[in-house]
Amino acid sequence: MTQQSTPSATCLPAGEASDFQNPDPLVIAFCCNWCSYTGADLAGTSRLQYPPNARIIRVMCSGMVHPNMVIDALTKGADGVLICGCHPGDCHYIDGNLKAEKRAEAIKLMLEDFGLEPERFRLEWVSASEGPRFAAVMQEMIDGVKRLPPSSYKTG
Amino acid sequence: MAAKVAEEWLNICGGCEVSILDIGDTLLDLLPSLEFVHMPVLMDHKYHGQTGEGDPHKIEIPAADVGIVSGGIRNEKEKAVAQAMRSSCKTLISLGSCACFGGIPAMANMWTTEELHEKVYRDSKTTVKSDTPNKDLPPLTDRVYALEEVVKVDLSIPGCPPSPDMIKEALLCLLQGKPFSLPEKSVCDECPTKREKKASGGDLKRPLEAMAFKQGVPWEETRCYMEQGYLCLGPVTKAGCAGQTTEQGEAKVPRCIKGYMPCRGCFGPVKKGANPLVDMMGALSSIGLKPDQVVDRRAMLSRYVGGQGRLKPLPAKPVPVKK
Repeated sequence: MTQQSTPSATCLPAGEASDFQNPDPLVIAFCCNWCSYTGADLAGTSRLQYPPNARIIRVMCSGMVHPNMVIDALTKGADGVLICGCHPGDCHYIDGNLKAEKRAEAIKLMLEDFGLEPERFRLEWVSASEGPRFAAVMQEMIDGVKRLPPSSYKTG
Repeated sequence: MAAKVAEEWLNICGGCEVSILDIGDTLLDLLPSLEFVHMPVLMDHKYHGQTGEGDPHKIEIPAADVGIVSGGIRNEKEKAVAQAMRSSCKTLISLGSCACFGGIPAMANMWTTEELHEKVYRDSKTTVKSDTPNKDLPPLTDRVYALEEVVKVDLSIPGCPPSPDMIKEALLCLLQGKPFSLPEKSVCDECPTKREKKASGGDLKRPLEAMAFKQGVPWEETRCYMEQGYLCLGPVTKAGCAGQTTEQGEAKVPRCIKGYMPCRGCFGPVKKGANPLVDMMGALSSIGLKPDQVVDRRAMLSRYVGGQGRLKPLPAKPVPVKK
């Protein structure tokens, strides 16, 4: 299990507007059906606030998100990609999230090969009961992407 | 009546032409049904008339039923020759990995033409600095192109070099009016080596490190090279280099595997438009080898397929605003 950031339960304060080079980024979030998508649901039903820049794509497991999908999204204009899965040990399919973790290493290396900043990709664990954590992860990710210039792959 | 064949070589080493000759005895049986009308590697046939009496702005290539082009496109002359071949030939074949995907020369696509000129004529420590030569030379195109990016191609025979059997098969199919294509299968689908279990956390070995094999034993007893820890591009490379089953009924063994070397990926991606670099990095991580140990990743995993936009200069990083 890797060390991961532990965002505070409440939403982080939004960054200073002047820090943002890309105030309106597009972030693709792949959320696993069993934990993270339900976590996103909880964030919604709890009326938690987080930036609206993410497009959530529900997948059955974080382990099915092939590096192709992430690289495709990033080289076709997305400013960032987030993969959310169950905490290690909680996977509905036993070890799907561990597969995602291995793939994430390869994806991080490939960001370099495609000339992308490391902040553009993240893998986070969010369980079904962690609505506030989901909102915080979103806030953190989107703030990070906002501080970067728009993706160099973005056209028009 | 013999089918007229025109052959051209563009940005290439000449190995594909050697492969045509390597068809061997069967070539003698084929020859009565083929008539070579243009082939710079064998015949003296000039583009603007034999004594230069023709139009210097028009490339003349005699009309042919089949055109074979090897090599990708690196300069304006090659582009013009490719277009002339297309308009003179009814069916156009791209022969070899360079024509199909850009090939080895397309690794230069990782840099801009200006950077290449700078490095070759001025930056290199062992070179006397000079201007980029431009007199009487065709200008370079902005990058290396695969043939199909410039003209329509009817049939592709990949490989570095392509296998003589496949060239023969393709020509026979054309002569008999049958379709010819390669199935969407990977080298692993045809590879007979034994797969036991996935490596886990193993170090990646260099291809020259001793491989565990015994010559003369059936292939089914030789362990998969990837499971032994070698970087083998089999999972992301199109199958077909082995050709058909031998007359003795032996199983097909991919060519490099047969030589106890891992696959290098010269047959290009399994599916049209796929990127072997991304696929292979995914495969490496799920097999359990360490993807960060691949030396010179971009070039290594896109060795033969740098055309068609797969290798590009990295986008210039915008300078972040200072706080």
